[in-house]
Amino acid sequence: MKLFCRNLIGILLLLATAGALADHITIRPFDAGSMEAIRAKYAGKPFVLAFWSTTCEPCRKEMALWRALKLRYPQIPIVLVAAEGPADQAAVRAFLMRYNPGPVQHWLFADEFAERLRYSVDKSWRGELPRSYFFDAAHVAEVRSGLIDRRMAEQWFKTHSRRN
Amino acid sequence: MPAKDGAVRPDLGATAAFDAQGVLWAAHKDGGYIAVSRSDDAGRSWAGPVRVNAVIEPTDMGADSRPKIAVGAGGELYVTWTRPLGKPFTGEIRFARSLDGGRSFSTPVTVHSDRQEITHRFDAIAVNDKGQLFVAWIDKRDGVAAAKAKGPAYQGAAVYYAVSDDKGASFRGDYKLAEHSCECCRIALRTQDDGSVLAMWRHVFTPNIRDHALARLTPDGKPGVARRVTFDDWRVDVCPHHGPSLDMDAAGRLHAVWFTQAPKHSGIFYGRLRDGAVDAQRRVGGETAEHADLAVSGNRVAVAWKEFDGERSRLRAMISDDGGDSWRERELATTAEASDHPRVLLRGGAFQVFWNTRREPLLTVALQ
Repeated sequence: MKLFCRNLIGILLLLATAGALADHITIRPFDAGSMEAIRAKYAGKPFVLAFWSTTCEPCRKEMALWRALKLRYPQIPIVLVAAEGPADQAAVRAFLMRYNPGPVQHWLFADEFAERLRYSVDKSWRGELPRSYFFDAAHVAEVRSGLIDRRMAEQWFKTHSRRN
Repeated sequence: MPAKDGAVRPDLGATAAFDAQGVLWAAHKDGGYIAVSRSDDAGRSWAGPVRVNAVIEPTDMGADSRPKIAVGAGGELYVTWTRPLGKPFTGEIRFARSLDGGRSFSTPVTVHSDRQEITHRFDAIAVNDKGQLFVAWIDKRDGVAAAKAKGPAYQGAAVYYAVSDDKGASFRGDYKLAEHSCECCRIALRTQDDGSVLAMWRHVFTPNIRDHALARLTPDGKPGVARRVTFDDWRVDVCPHHGPSLDMDAAGRLHAVWFTQAPKHSGIFYGRLRDGAVDAQRRVGGETAEHADLAVSGNRVAVAWKEFDGERSRLRAMISDDGGDSWRERELATTAEASDHPRVLLRGGAFQVFWNTRREPLLTVALQ
């Protein structure tokens, strides 16, 4: 019962945080050095890096999945990067408020030279979205183009939260 | 886009076409406006830009969207673009024309009669030999109707089109070309001698295969049946943002380039399309090749694309003199700054590649 209560309070806190965050979303600029910085920050830890855009319909469906996974596995960082230009910041913010992915991190491509930014992540990525990288603790990635399979994602989070 | 110096940097999305006299016309952004520039020397120098819309309106410029231009036999200029609406993924197809050689443009109108705040995006435009104008786009009205009826989930979107018989003064439609297209890739159009227009687009084949379909748009609004023309078997719910390109040779064979990330092979591919199979399919470019375009002149085929090498984007091309059986490659230009997707144009029977780059706006290179 005690454990249940603690979980419940935790979930309520996270939900409250998610609501509050919708109005105060911090969006960082993703430049050609950001990938390295993100990997360094999570050295030795698993994390998920997921690219999306406001013009990508499957990306919309993924937002609720990220929210559910973040609430269930709060210790695993989820880093969302909007793969569109800085001019789209207002649209990105409106999209995130509308489709609320929960208390995850947000980045936005810092300049219009998208090829260079994509290359800094993965040179075999041609810009299709969503594009997701599930990095294990050694930062070996499972890479997915397209809408994430919910069962695969849940299994991955379950496995890596245990090891974390 | 706000630059560091506070100036507004226009989006790079641009397309271009030569008219019958060899004048090159480019549709691009000028600040927040849609604009048209003119070159009398195949892109070495440009006059203009002339603003197409007198009032700035939002323009869908991301991914596979950019303003389009087509030229009528009498030098009429036709421009389309997509105006995003309030809700995500929504938009409408806008149109303006110039009948005075690009000196002025008509007040923009919305092409389709359906005015719901839903997806009408990814405009494509073509003019047949009779001067009839075809505008095609991706449309989600059927998906919206299915959701309202609480029926089974609708796969993807649909392709609709409208026709103008009076040089764009009015449009009739909206004609449905095909249901269950993919949602975010450009549509390729190619006019035919009989006045019809062939369209190639990324489709969603059951259960979720994002290969390509081909169908005929007819002026009477009774289109042909769509058929599958690529067979990579890419099964995924994804936005590739990477539409195909299509042209036809002197023998009536269809040539295309397209993108796939199918497990059996991924990247850009060229091939000749026929019933149930692709002939001479081959990979285009290296690991980072993207956004290829194609044109055909007689039995000669030209493909252009770009590749990023870690430092620079390279404009590369391959050319075939035997209808796509053998090829030679060339590099045409490079840039260390942002660039748009390249386009292969025909000036008379000669190939030119148009590439709008931050460093060299509206760059045009001959391809021999």
